[in-house]
Amino acid sequence: MEKLILDVEPHWENIERARNETAQFLLSHKISDDIANAIIMVCSELIENAVKYGYFKEKEATISVNIELFKKYILVEVRNSIKDAKNQHFKKLDKTIQWIRGYQNPLEAYTMKIKEVAKKDLFDEESGLGLIRVAYEGESILDFYLENINIVAVSAIRHFNIN
Amino acid sequence: MNTEKQTDDKLTIEIIEIEENIAIKWIGKSTNRKPGNFLTPILSNALTNGNDGKKEVILDFRELEYMNSSTISPIIKFLHNAKSGNHRILVKYKKLLKWQELNFSALNIFQTPDKRIQIIGE
Repeated sequence: MEKLILDVEPHWENIERARNETAQFLLSHKISDDIANAIIMVCSELIENAVKYGYFKEKEATISVNIELFKKYILVEVRNSIKDAKNQHFKKLDKTIQWIRGYQNPLEAYTMKIKEVAKKDLFDEESGLGLIRVAYEGESILDFYLENINIVAVSAIRHFNIN
Repeated sequence: MNTEKQTDDKLTIEIIEIEENIAIKWIGKSTNRKPGNFLTPILSNALTNGNDGKKEVILDFRELEYMNSSTISPIIKFLHNAKSGNHRILVKYKKLLKWQELNFSALNIFQTPDKRIQIIGE
């Protein structure tokens, strides 16, 4: 088992460094380009969500990123503080992951989401594509749990042998 | 021939307009929090200048290294708007890059039977 742990300050400009460090880690462990690109994307999308929807009251608050290589899969876990479980973003996270799980084929869910986005206003910035992209393009299984009442951990597991 | 380059952080958009088409090449990485602010005007102008099908609009993603999910949204809306008119659109991407293959093949739902809108992996 090999592990990369990152503490990312919750500012958008720090996400690129997290992507680069993830890329270096995966390269050093000879992960194929396709899988590496997928994991970098997964990591990036989960951190972006943490920056957008996390709640960082303390000055030193960070987003905790954990990437572990196992023999048959890679685990990406991103932990961040939230206001509480009643928070609308947390409820949306829960709803979205349940929705994605309702589809046997993530491409179907992704296509549904594309059609939904297509009808939105041109300047509506909210795409809601991140998590479904993790499932479809990242070929990853999403999950989440509440560590305390105000810390959420979102995980994505990517198995190596995907047909 | 008109050539224009616009850059937003790590993303450069190169626009080359000739008599037959408008080619929009994406170079670098699109990672901004709200990339629509930069991309939507460019894509809207391209549709306008494509003059309802008189010029083909080509979106070339083969030199795009990475895009976040917020970038996909304006691309989707562009294709949706193009499909509802008479616009001619060609999307080119690099088939050998799995992330591009997965992203752009999913946009096949915007392709038209008459090939007015095409999405092609090269």
